[in-house]
Amino acid sequence: MAKMQAILSRFSEEQMSRYESFRRAGFQKSNMKRLLGSISGTPKISMPMTIVVSGIAKMFVGELVETARIVMTERKESGPIRPCHIREAYRKLKLEGKVPKRSVSRLFR
Amino acid sequence: MNNPAGGQSSKSKAGSSQPSETSFKRKRGVFQKELQHMMYGFGDDQNPLPESVALMEDIVVEYITDLVHKAQDIGSKRGKLSVEDFLYLIRKDFPKLNRCRELLSMNEELKQARKAFETDEEKLRKAFETDEEKMRKAFEADEDKHGSTE
Repeated sequence: MAKMQAILSRFSEEQMSRYESFRRAGFQKSNMKRLLGSISGTPKISMPMTIVVSGIAKMFVGELVETARIVMTERKESGPIRPCHIREAYRKLKLEGKVPKRSVSRLFR
Repeated sequence: MNNPAGGQSSKSKAGSSQPSETSFKRKRGVFQKELQHMMYGFGDDQNPLPESVALMEDIVVEYITDLVHKAQDIGSKRGKLSVEDFLYLIRKDFPKLNRCRELLSMNEELKQARKAFETDEEKLRKAFETDEEKMRKAFEADEDKHGSTE
C-alpha cells in the first residue's frame, strides 16, 4: 500500500493519466453478459461469471498490448500500435501457451 | 438477442468469425470505446489506431469464445456453466487466478455491504414511520382540544 503511494506520488502527468485509464477501463457488464449468453447458448449468465470473464479478458488485452510493444521495440518502431504488431504478439502468446487452443473434437458434438 | 447498443447496426462478420450453431450476428465495435481506453492504459498511444482496436476486439472475442467452450466442456459433466469452470481453466495462470479471486471477494463484500445498508434503511424507515404516527396522533388530539382555526 505504502509502496504504491510512493510510486504514484512520483508519476508524471502522462503516467498518471495512463494509470487512471488502466484502472478504470473495463468491459461493460451488459455487453459482456450478452456476449457470454450468445456464446454459451444459455440466457442466464450470473454476475460473478461476467465479472470473472471481464477480468480475464482485460488481463489478456494487457498481455497483447505489452507483447506488441516488445515486438515494436525489437523492430525499432515507434508510434501507435499497428495490427501487424498485435498479430505478432498474438503468435508469441500462442507459442507461450497463453491462448486456449481450439479442440478439434468439437466437430463431433 | 439483437438489442442495438448505441445504435449500431448488426453485421455478420466474414472471414475470422467462427460458424455458430445459432445464427448470431455479431455487431462490429461493441467493445470499441472500452478497448481504446484499455489499450492506452496498457501502453498504447492515447488514440490507438482504429484498425488495431478492431483487431483487438476480434482476438478478444475469439479468446472469450474459446474460453467459454472449454468451460462448457468441463461443466457439461455437471450440467450448468459455473464460475468454478473458468477458475479451473486459468488455474495455472497465477496473475489471472489471483485477480479473479480478488474481484470475486470484492463483489461479495459489496453484496454484504448493500445488504447491511438495506437492513439499516429498513429499520430507520420503520422507526421513522412509528414516530410520524405518534406525532400525527398528538397533533390531532391537540386540534380536538383547541378546535380548528379555519
